[in-house]
Amino acid sequence: MPKCTIDGREVEFSAGENLLEVARKVGVEVPYFCYHPGLTVVAQCRMCAVEIEKFPKLQTACSTPAGDGMIVHTRSEKAKANQKSIMEFLLINHPLDCPVCDKSGECDLQDNSYRYGDSYTRSTEERRTYIDLDMGPVIKKNMNRCIHCTRCIRFGAEVAGVREMVAIQRGNSTEISTIDGRPLETDYAGNYADICPTGSLTLKDFRFKKRAWMLKKTATVCEGCSRGCNMEIQQDGGSVYRCIPRKNMEINQYWMCDEGRFNYQYLMDPTRIVKPRIEGVNTTWSDAIGRLKATLSGKKATILVGTDLTVEELKLIQEMSASMLPGSTIAHIGTNGVSTTSDDGAEDQLLKRKSKTSNLHGAEKLGIAPYKSMASGSEAVLIFRGGKAELPALTGIKKYGVGVFTESEAQGFEVVLPSTSFAEKDGTIVNFQGKEQRLKRAINPMGQSKQIGEIFMLWKNSSSALRAEATGVA
Amino acid sequence: MSSASFETMYVQHFNEGARPIDYYLSKMNGYTALKKAFGMSKDDIIGEMKKSNLRGRGGAGFPTGMKWGFIPKDSPKAKYLVCNADESEPGTFKDRDIMRYTPHLLIEGMVIGGFTIGANTGYIYIRGEYTREAKLLDEAIDEAYAKGYLGKNILGSGFDFDLTVHRGAGAYICGEETGLLNSLEGKRGEPRVKPPFPAQAGAFGGPTIVNNVETLADVPFIINKGGEWFSNLGKLEKSGGTRLFSVSGHVNKPGVYELPSGAFTLRQIIYDVCGGVLDGKKLKAVIPGGSSAPVLTADEIDVIADIDPIMKAGSMLGSAAIMVVSEDYCVVQLLLRITKFYAHESCGQCTPCREGCRWMEDILHRIVHGHGKTQDLDLLIDITNNINGKTLCALGDAAAGPVASFVKKFRPDFEAYIRGEKHA
Repeated sequence: MPKCTIDGREVEFSAGENLLEVARKVGVEVPYFCYHPGLTVVAQCRMCAVEIEKFPKLQTACSTPAGDGMIVHTRSEKAKANQKSIMEFLLINHPLDCPVCDKSGECDLQDNSYRYGDSYTRSTEERRTYIDLDMGPVIKKNMNRCIHCTRCIRFGAEVAGVREMVAIQRGNSTEISTIDGRPLETDYAGNYADICPTGSLTLKDFRFKKRAWMLKKTATVCEGCSRGCNMEIQQDGGSVYRCIPRKNMEINQYWMCDEGRFNYQYLMDPTRIVKPRIEGVNTTWSDAIGRLKATLSGKKATILVGTDLTVEELKLIQEMSASMLPGSTIAHIGTNGVSTTSDDGAEDQLLKRKSKTSNLHGAEKLGIAPYKSMASGSEAVLIFRGGKAELPALTGIKKYGVGVFTESEAQGFEVVLPSTSFAEKDGTIVNFQGKEQRLKRAINPMGQSKQIGEIFMLWKNSSSALRAEATGVA
Repeated sequence: MSSASFETMYVQHFNEGARPIDYYLSKMNGYTALKKAFGMSKDDIIGEMKKSNLRGRGGAGFPTGMKWGFIPKDSPKAKYLVCNADESEPGTFKDRDIMRYTPHLLIEGMVIGGFTIGANTGYIYIRGEYTREAKLLDEAIDEAYAKGYLGKNILGSGFDFDLTVHRGAGAYICGEETGLLNSLEGKRGEPRVKPPFPAQAGAFGGPTIVNNVETLADVPFIINKGGEWFSNLGKLEKSGGTRLFSVSGHVNKPGVYELPSGAFTLRQIIYDVCGGVLDGKKLKAVIPGGSSAPVLTADEIDVIADIDPIMKAGSMLGSAAIMVVSEDYCVVQLLLRITKFYAHESCGQCTPCREGCRWMEDILHRIVHGHGKTQDLDLLIDITNNINGKTLCALGDAAAGPVASFVKKFRPDFEAYIRGEKHA
């Protein structure tokens, strides 16, 4: 393999790799703004300019492919002077409103300013200001903070497939805007906020809710469809504030859709049932379990499992129901019209899949059949649901729910036992490519919700559990 | 040297009567070079071009023969020859005369160029303000089509060449070759990252040569009379042919002058060729190559007006647009005007140019209006250092060069403003 030297460290590279990526391999960080590995290279911000021996001028690391024997200095006097001057240029028109900016704490401009910039400004001129137009429900624009890196323009045109972000005007007056100031159209608008290196494009959903450094981050997987985009849940004090994508080149690259991004909101739906219920009235776990056991045992039930449950939960339900509700049949529910994996296709050209639950492929692997109609002779329906699996219309039969339900969804249910959503548990899901991915628990179960395993344990040992709960002795 | 003692190619034809194709055919050996070129091998043509020592007339002065040689012989994509007629460097107006009076020279040069590099499509990208010249070019192209010098199977050679005039919309940056190509493709006129250079991937992704109007108009002469003849017109090594100088400003006889390359000093051009400074005033400054060239003081004009000597003197010949400034004119205000132009014309892609040009304009504006500070001059120099060589295209350098040179060479004039002795 060819080799080059970066800041005195020899590094091997493959043909075509740019200096910025090659430097990263040996732990040399070259600062940049406009570069993004998922977008074309434009070399506009000039921040990543480095000194290469035998080259008369500084070269931008993002646009220069590494060459055999190249000797690169990223922290030479010339390179450092350039980094300092680019920071100065970028800040002469930036409002420096970090105290009230949502990007603060995770802002490339702020971080690079801290590391490479000067702590004072030589500019005394009036700053450039813009008037912002509304960009629709997802993104809030603050053009004054923009550093014209054009990542958003390139994301729209190259990834989302919509040429909606454009540069208007010219030179110092260049404004990044949607065409004619229209609202954003793409279903991937949230990514604009992720890739924006400043607080110019921020999520309306997250605006002024939390400082970025207060958030606890859990690496997990989105449950919005059968792709299973890798993402991070960011929470504080048990409240989820936002989800952002994590890089996984085989599944979602760097992106995620808005549907998945804002899917977390149902976790904190005020009408979500988080206490056990009998006939719509809150009750204790022991009473609810007792009622379930009393009315279900010995009966033939149809057990519906949502394909939003994990592989572990589905397996547990299969095993436990065989011993506890013998003669019952198990079928899976998820997305209307997508009952098998062969129905599950791409919904758009980028990420979205037709199956709106995460584990259809896992459920099928376990041999669970799709739900078509009530098994003959069924006397009750027991529904296990991990999130948003679509509920079939069921009339004239007793219904029991275990899992995540809202009040309106659980209308007419005899018993509801609240259980956990994807953010409140660990487990495995299988995406449409057959990849097994781990859900990681980011927050504690809401209210009195319990894990499905725990619920089965209570159910199985209900007499002793009841006693313990009644007497307060564990 | 008296102005009559040298050979010229253009100026004797610079009149309205020279435009029709009949004049071109009868008086200027029109389209004979094309016939000759069709009988030559492509390597021989490039060889003649290299021998001619023709250096690009747009501003950068790159050897044309070498540029043509960069085009890959085999390319799966169509190749293009583009004429840069965006002539927008302030002070430059020589290409206008070529297009106005001898458009067929350009057309013939382009067909030969297209034949040499293997391009079947040519574009003349003309600046939007040249409405009359665009129309005249269109008429000349129609004449050439009618006579079979353009179109299919030109002169029975089997070579096809189509030529289209494309009008720009008035942006200076579209004179930068990759900005021009973007504009030609219907995109924003923003320069591209290089590499790839246009010879590898230019217009519509195909290998492309972009040449200046005067460069291409020189080609028929070179083919007809030989590279050596052309080279000998120039008086310096590695710089052949004559050059069209656009002389403007405070001289008695401004205009377009055709002079042998490297034969005259700036002083000779100003005082002997152009009749001296207007109203007999003293000379204050000379900008030797369009407004982006660093300024020269009255003491620095004994330099040969050609690419290499002027570069040695710390400026550049650029498009050979000589702007003469007399003692009556305020260089501080002149610099503000120049800087304002570049700040306005910056495309806004890259940081140093977008932010720096405007910053310099703001500072100069302050100085001119009586709000300058002592540290402003050093700050200006520092900003030019931070722009120069750090930008995506050459516009940043074009803006930084004048500021650095004016401030360094005319510092007392600036200080007078800062002290409050003068203001606009």
